[in-house]
Amino acid sequence: MKMDVVISGVGGQGNIFASLVISQYAMNKNLNVLGAETIGAAQRGGAVVSHIRISDGTIYSPLISRGQADLLIGMEFVEMLRHMRLLNPKGTYLLNAMKIPTVLNNMGLDEYPATEEILQAAKKYCRNGYVIEASTLAKKLGNIQMTNVVMLGALVKIMDFFDYDKVKLLVQANSPTRFKEANLRGYEEGFQLIKSH
Amino acid sequence: MEEKRYVMGDTAIARGALEAGVRVVAGYPGTPATEIVDECLGVPGVHVEWANNEKVAFELCTGASLCHVRAMPVMKHNGTNVVTDFLMHVNFTGIRGGLVLISADDPGGLSSQNEEDTRILVHQYAHLPIFDPSSPQEAKAMVKEAFDLSEKTELVFCLRPVTRVCHARGIIAFEDLPKDLPAAHYEPDRERFIMSAVEMPKFGGVKRPQIRHRWLNEKQVLLQGIMEESSYNWIEKGEGKIGLVGCGMGYTLIKEAEQFLDRKLPLLKLGTLPLPRKKIKEFAKGLEKVVIFEETEPFVEGLFKKIFHEDKIEVEVLGRSGFVPSDGELTVQMILESIAKAAPGVKITQPVVPTLDVHVPIRTRTQCVGCNYRGILNALKQTVRKHKGIVAGDIGCHDAGSFRPMELQSTIYCMGSSVPMGSGMVLAGVNRPVFAFIGDSTLYHNGILGLMNAANNKINVNVILGENTVTAMTGFQPHPGTGVTLAGEKTTPVNVPKLAESMGISYRVVNPYHIQECREALEAAVKEEGPSLIVSSMPCYLLSTRQGKKIFEPREVRLDPERCNGCMICINDFGCPAISINKQQKKVAIDPMICVGCALCVDVCKRGAIV
Repeated sequence: MKMDVVISGVGGQGNIFASLVISQYAMNKNLNVLGAETIGAAQRGGAVVSHIRISDGTIYSPLISRGQADLLIGMEFVEMLRHMRLLNPKGTYLLNAMKIPTVLNNMGLDEYPATEEILQAAKKYCRNGYVIEASTLAKKLGNIQMTNVVMLGALVKIMDFFDYDKVKLLVQANSPTRFKEANLRGYEEGFQLIKSH
Repeated sequence: MEEKRYVMGDTAIARGALEAGVRVVAGYPGTPATEIVDECLGVPGVHVEWANNEKVAFELCTGASLCHVRAMPVMKHNGTNVVTDFLMHVNFTGIRGGLVLISADDPGGLSSQNEEDTRILVHQYAHLPIFDPSSPQEAKAMVKEAFDLSEKTELVFCLRPVTRVCHARGIIAFEDLPKDLPAAHYEPDRERFIMSAVEMPKFGGVKRPQIRHRWLNEKQVLLQGIMEESSYNWIEKGEGKIGLVGCGMGYTLIKEAEQFLDRKLPLLKLGTLPLPRKKIKEFAKGLEKVVIFEETEPFVEGLFKKIFHEDKIEVEVLGRSGFVPSDGELTVQMILESIAKAAPGVKITQPVVPTLDVHVPIRTRTQCVGCNYRGILNALKQTVRKHKGIVAGDIGCHDAGSFRPMELQSTIYCMGSSVPMGSGMVLAGVNRPVFAFIGDSTLYHNGILGLMNAANNKINVNVILGENTVTAMTGFQPHPGTGVTLAGEKTTPVNVPKLAESMGISYRVVNPYHIQECREALEAAVKEEGPSLIVSSMPCYLLSTRQGKKIFEPREVRLDPERCNGCMICINDFGCPAISINKQQKKVAIDPMICVGCALCVDVCKRGAIV
């Protein structure tokens, strides 16, 4: 058994929290886990990506190579596209319908692709995809920073690998005290966001 | 008792040091090594600190080592460059308590101003031994062993992890920490620890530097024997006459690539410098060529060529001198392509993935939304435009002012270069106002020397200090201007105005959230002869938010479309990620999902269209 996961987004979107929860979950299942993260100067509104490799066998590289990912979690449209080719076309993607323009987009010097165009390209690459309004829901719940827990809730719904209650405990354990309650609510609502599976 | 935890490579390295009984840890923040220092904190009896710069950290650790205490200076490759002068002395004297230098490299310059390979500096130049880990687990084991070997050989040992080791996360076994650590004591040994050109009667009057050099050269034999037996080097048997060699991370990536090959090629895993010469010769037996994968320079490749030449071994040596790309981070893709070239008979089956029919915009980093640097940078941009000024830049969050759209700083090199480089521009007679922009952590690192030099030589450079009271870019490490130590103890922050006074430099303190105030100060500085200092003082916004402190009163900011004429000043001279241009309507828009209400843009807009 192996599951390779890529989480991509923009610095500050909470990639690392999500990656920690997934990794700890796998570790609790007595699986091997190896991951890689972008941290440090590459943050600050730049593109960030986490790789998480889970297996019952030996894992070597912390980085997932082309076409090997089983799951791609995109916290933002363009950032998912950037790492799309890591995904096995037979894998699954979960995309947060959020657009964060780049500096050159803001200046009008580079085109941010239209949403329809992005969704079509993603669908053409991989049939099994889910697109949810996680940031919109997080903002409605009071804090856009909760996007990652909403995404985790949705993830648990679509991937049989994850157990709802066990992931919930990890969301709780990893949240700072003052955000615990809100994060759990975000997780629950994220789970409800995907109706059919 | 052993406990398994899922942690970063940096945490694994810190734990290894603590389990080895390290007593003093000092470093200067730098990606990817920063977390190693942070993670050493909290163990009774272990002193952990952020030093002004890497050289200070290294010297402090050496002082501790000479008192028979284990010590660990921690830095990224740029820091190791700063340490070079000291390194070229401590290699001659040797040490007492185990001293392990962590010199983290960042292949590909993922979070660095340059790309380099410190193995060359530490091993080729300073003749010191290195462990090059292939995983977080191995890094931990290596650190522990390095402390023992450092004491055994009396030499500084170096661990050279790369970003993919430091920032990988893996399952690490945490073992117990030692209970009783040996007490510090000092005995003078001037023949060793006084590095000076003094005649040594014992050696017929030969000068000490030469004798100590001889001592270091003699140590190489001992090191050679140790590395020959090291468990970090091994041979994996395989088919054919083409062998692969993986150094550190290179080994890991070869192992990853193996799943795509139809056969197992002979593989030599290397993790030490000096190299295990006998093992290499054993591996080379029967081979026609070897391909070496290492981060990042063709360094081991050169050593292989030397060994094969000396021992008349006719095996072709390929690697990063061109056969494998000579720059950038190694990837599985690079390894597969190199194998395809070197061993065309090997079948490679890699999944074919479709192309993606959509344009993916490049995303560059910038300052955070709400960052106070945007205010002073905007004021500086206006001043520079008005007076045709030049800005010499430095390392830190403000460096994003040199990217598009601001394109303000004209140079960025290394820590503290801004003021001397700006000074040089003035002295060249460029006849335009010259500014040097530097952050406070960089000023204390070694920027202060350039400032003092400008003062002492009366150079007409306008220095702007972005004083956000913390080393922000690497994750908010305290520095001498913060007023608190890493361990959380209160301390006296450096008083910059008093510092400027003592140097005889005129200074002006401004609030970067008041652009007009910044402009007036910059204007006055330009008019004034001689060096001047503008202290743009305000805590880091991101850190303040995390601490629940307000550094401005957030307010709703909106655009008045009637007034906006699409002039783009708010974008080109300010560059807040929340503001974008709508090309069809020729008007800007402010994204309420991104805006944090600092309202700096209200002052930026000349038409009063942002309210």
